[in-house]
Amino acid sequence: MKVPVFSQKSFGVVALAAAVAFPLVVGNTFFQHIMILFFMFATMAVAWNIMGGYAGMFSFGQVAFFGIGAYTSSFLLITCHVNPWLGLIAGGLGAAIVGAAIGYPCSNLRGHYFAIATIAFGEIVRTCFNNWKMVGAAEGLSLPMLDEGLLNFMFHSSKLPYYYIILVFLLIALAVCYLVSTSKMGYYFRAIKESHDVAEVLGVNVVWYRLMAVMVSAFLSAMAGTFYAQYVLYIDPDSVLLLPISIQIVLISMLGGAGSVMGPVIGAAILIPISEITRVWLGSKGTGIDMLIYGFLITMISVYQPRGVWGLFAGAGRRAR
Amino acid sequence: MRIKWVPIICLSLCAVLVLSGSLFAQQKTIRVGAVYPLTGNIASTGLDCKRGAELAVDIINGKYDLNLPLAKTEGLPNLGGAKIELVFADTKGDPRNGMSEAERLVSQEKVVAMIGAYQSSVTKTASQATERLKIPYVCSDSSSPTLTERNFKYFFRVSPHDAGFARDQFQFLKDLEKKTGQKVSTVALLYENTEFGSNVGKAAAQYAKEFGYKVVADVSYAANATDVTSEVGALIKAKPDVLMHASYITDAILFTKTFKEMNFAPKGIMTFAGYIEPAYLPAVKADGDYIIVRSTFALDLAKGKPLVAQVNELFKKKYGIDMSENAARSFAAPFVLADAINRAKSTKSEDIVRALLATNIPGDQMIYPWKGIKFDPKSHQNIYARGTLVQILNEQYATVWPFDAAAKEVVWPFPPWKTRK
Repeated sequence: MKVPVFSQKSFGVVALAAAVAFPLVVGNTFFQHIMILFFMFATMAVAWNIMGGYAGMFSFGQVAFFGIGAYTSSFLLITCHVNPWLGLIAGGLGAAIVGAAIGYPCSNLRGHYFAIATIAFGEIVRTCFNNWKMVGAAEGLSLPMLDEGLLNFMFHSSKLPYYYIILVFLLIALAVCYLVSTSKMGYYFRAIKESHDVAEVLGVNVVWYRLMAVMVSAFLSAMAGTFYAQYVLYIDPDSVLLLPISIQIVLISMLGGAGSVMGPVIGAAILIPISEITRVWLGSKGTGIDMLIYGFLITMISVYQPRGVWGLFAGAGRRAR
Repeated sequence: MRIKWVPIICLSLCAVLVLSGSLFAQQKTIRVGAVYPLTGNIASTGLDCKRGAELAVDIINGKYDLNLPLAKTEGLPNLGGAKIELVFADTKGDPRNGMSEAERLVSQEKVVAMIGAYQSSVTKTASQATERLKIPYVCSDSSSPTLTERNFKYFFRVSPHDAGFARDQFQFLKDLEKKTGQKVSTVALLYENTEFGSNVGKAAAQYAKEFGYKVVADVSYAANATDVTSEVGALIKAKPDVLMHASYITDAILFTKTFKEMNFAPKGIMTFAGYIEPAYLPAVKADGDYIIVRSTFALDLAKGKPLVAQVNELFKKKYGIDMSENAARSFAAPFVLADAINRAKSTKSEDIVRALLATNIPGDQMIYPWKGIKFDPKSHQNIYARGTLVQILNEQYATVWPFDAAAKEVVWPFPPWKTRK
């Protein structure tokens, strides 16, 4: 008799089918919005996971890549009428280059020193954009309302196209993460994570592979940034470059389970709906009780499942086998 | 005997049901969405706004002997006494939530119009969402000039914007010269560098040119700065007649202390926002005296307008505190909206927008010192909205301009620090 095995793969297939069918079953735009946010944060958390979960580089500056992506495509669209899809690529490359430029001098920083440097990096980027007149400084950028359509990456009458676009982005990020984790690069990343010095002695080009992790992660985060700008149609430093967003990304990955492909997705699936739904149900009273519940759940998960929620599924799978 | 009663009871029950049914139909409520930052770091301001809007709706729905639109009747008379119901939503001050909450209120809660959201960046995305959904939005608490520069079809603003406030300051200088002969020729601009401050700085520079004043210093700084001696040094070096300062609260306190320490006393210190927050005066006490602040509302307007005192009394009865400027600003939007819906006799977006465009509320039906409310046909900004200037005198805010609404005579020039206690 065959024992049903709960593997990452079967889980993924079921989840994907559910995700594709969801908006066709649930017409409610608010729930669609929550799902869009979930996919967006999941994309960023998966991107973070490549750096933080696999290569052991705890970044608290991830929001900078997100912001650079949002700003690059929006700025190009507003001033040079560049198609947002090209802007998306430009934003990704821009974020990767900035990531490499900052990653290189930081390549010898380890553990919490690296984390501190990334906080500084994120804040520096925010301060720059806050004062940079050409990109609207603190006023931010308002995107023009163009005709809706896939070409313009803008949809006014329905959320469905946004939903499927960000779902595709998430799948791309997951595919990249999966490829990285199963390739030689993934093993190098893990070696670096276990011990910087041992990896170096074994012949891993530590600086180069660390830079690779940063650049891949930056590109994927920037894609989410462009999506955000096209979705909300208004960006300013306070909404796309704020430190709490970085922290939220780390939280999602850690709660879900860093170092596994699906972990960050699980984390986002739990945290984003909780934070949105508690705000909507309880926030309008202005009592702050939604924040209390949110914090309580995070505390419970970190106390009882410190390896992340994914650990539950993975553990169940292993037992079943 | 008994059997005879049964049909009568049945009939009367039916009649009661039909009657009450028609009564319920008449008493239908009109749902209006209200988005405010009810939690997060400016929750106290958001709650203040919420109180203002709630009191306005109480007055519209109830019977009050006040000279405010729709106060004397219960609900909206043209819609069979329909009541307004506010559906509040929390934005946490994040533009992303502004958008999603506006969408949710329209699609789930079936609101027919929107008000709010205090922070200009949130109003920007919330009104963008309502514009897409073709739902009218009346704002009376966000002051970024860019909001009405978009020429949206469904967005209206009742209150003045920052550029208008900047213009008022220069108008005051002109009026002052005409009235007292005190001439001012140079100004220094000082502003914090986020959206609010930099917009004021930009507008002030433009109006200085228009009104013929020379800008001798243009200094921007980060609002969370902990030391501003070099900024004040630059101002002292420039020797301006008047300083114009756009700030938040903590920087307003820090600058006031530094002005005193470094003995910086131009003829006038004219300011925005931070200097009128409730926490400012308790922190600086008498050192805040003689500073002039822009405002849309002050309780001493009651001197020329008894309505202000009456409304404040109701506010105090309900919440136990005096009406603040923020509450007073948010107080306006429900009236404008209810008045338009009442005239439109309909809750359809197009009808409400048409009625809003025809809005003409006279100045005596408001708690602000304006000539009235009438929207510009293109930008939808209230063309009569203007600010007032209040001066801190004996640790209290007193309206000093426009001169026709003044409660006290303006003290000018600013007395040097050494002569003060």
